Amino acid sequence: MGESGSQPDGDIVRRVLEGEVELFGVLVERYRAEFARYATALVGDPDRASDAMQEAFIRAYRSLASCRDLKRVKAWFFRILTNQCHDQRTRRRRETSLEGHDQPARDRADAQVLQAELARAIERALDRLTPEQREAFVLRHVDGKSYEEMAALLGTGVDALKMRVYRARDALRQQLEHLHE
Amino acid sequence: MSDSSKFSHVAQQYLDGQPGPETLDPAERAGADRLLRAVESYAAGLRAPGPELDAAVMRRVRAEGLTPQSPWWSWIVAPHTIRVRPAVLALAASLALVVWWTASGARGRSGAGAAETVLVRFQLAAPDAHDVSVSGSFNGWSPPGIALRRSVVPGLWVVTLPLPVGEHQYLFRVDGTQWVVDPGAHAQVDDGFGRTNSVLVVGPRGVFGP
Repeated sequence: MGESGSQPDGDIVRRVLEGEVELFGVLVERYRAEFARYATALVGDPDRASDAMQEAFIRAYRSLASCRDLKRVKAWFFRILTNQCHDQRTRRRRETSLEGHDQPARDRADAQVLQAELARAIERALDRLTPEQREAFVLRHVDGKSYEEMAALLGTGVDALKMRVYRARDALRQQLEHLHE
Repeated sequence: MSDSSKFSHVAQQYLDGQPGPETLDPAERAGADRLLRAVESYAAGLRAPGPELDAAVMRRVRAEGLTPQSPWWSWIVAPHTIRVRPAVLALAASLALVVWWTASGARGRSGAGAAETVLVRFQLAAPDAHDVSVSGSFNGWSPPGIALRRSVVPGLWVVTLPLPVGEHQYLFRVDGTQWVVDPGAHAQVDDGFGRTNSVLVVGPRGVFGP
């Protein structure tokens, strides 16, 4: 992206608002690369995750002028994306229960059976977490973010985030124990 | 471990990769490792959207002719684009005065000591201009001013600047020679030397924020 590739997010937003629409693509590439795995894990389905991301980008673009703190553009977009992901997950659960079968977000064709079972247990367990616990667990264990990085994105204290992750682990442990009973 | 359904604090630290696993009960450690393996398997199988998503988003942005929307109230306090015609200038100035009084209200007009800055979008319709700049109290009226760039809207020149909360006087300069007031300013005032300056009042809640 040349010069734009290293520009702060806030500067890009300012230029987009001044009419350089194509520069929005820099933010799209930047945030897609950072949050695609998070969105996929949070939604539980790659196609729906793609829909959630597209919708989040379009909503962010339409309301770009209302992003008041240009030093926190990423956190602002992250919140929009997370809300879209929760919506998509809710829809998926509703439709999956109507269809009567699961459509996991994984390509298990070549996976070992045990690994696939473990992964399915994680998918089922994620459904039983609160949205806040799910966000925190995915950021910590799928994205590998530190608690400090999570705090900056979510605007929540480190101690509170640790509690969410701890509770999520306890819930997931119970699911895994059922698997081995 | 008093509750077998929960990880102990030591196990939680272990799962966070912190030191101290030597005090961890072997059975609990096995449970923690099982969880980590499961999450690893889950993460390894995720198929996340790739660069094709970027192109799809930008196609929608272009195809739908989307434009970033300003909040409705920004129309009350933001400078607007009005073509510069002497015949309507007086009317525009009168209207701007009304808007200014309404928008400034009880917020006060003194920016002294205010550390807060707000992004303010300046724009001027000047279809025949080759270059447009803006100078004012915010840059010490220093020439050649701050350059506006051509908008995607034909004939429109724009720039967005961070301004401190308070009152600012300014003028546009067209082609380096012609000083032009902003017809969409909050007010126009005499500068005491026979020239008219445009006035913009930046409130503590800014142009873009409530």
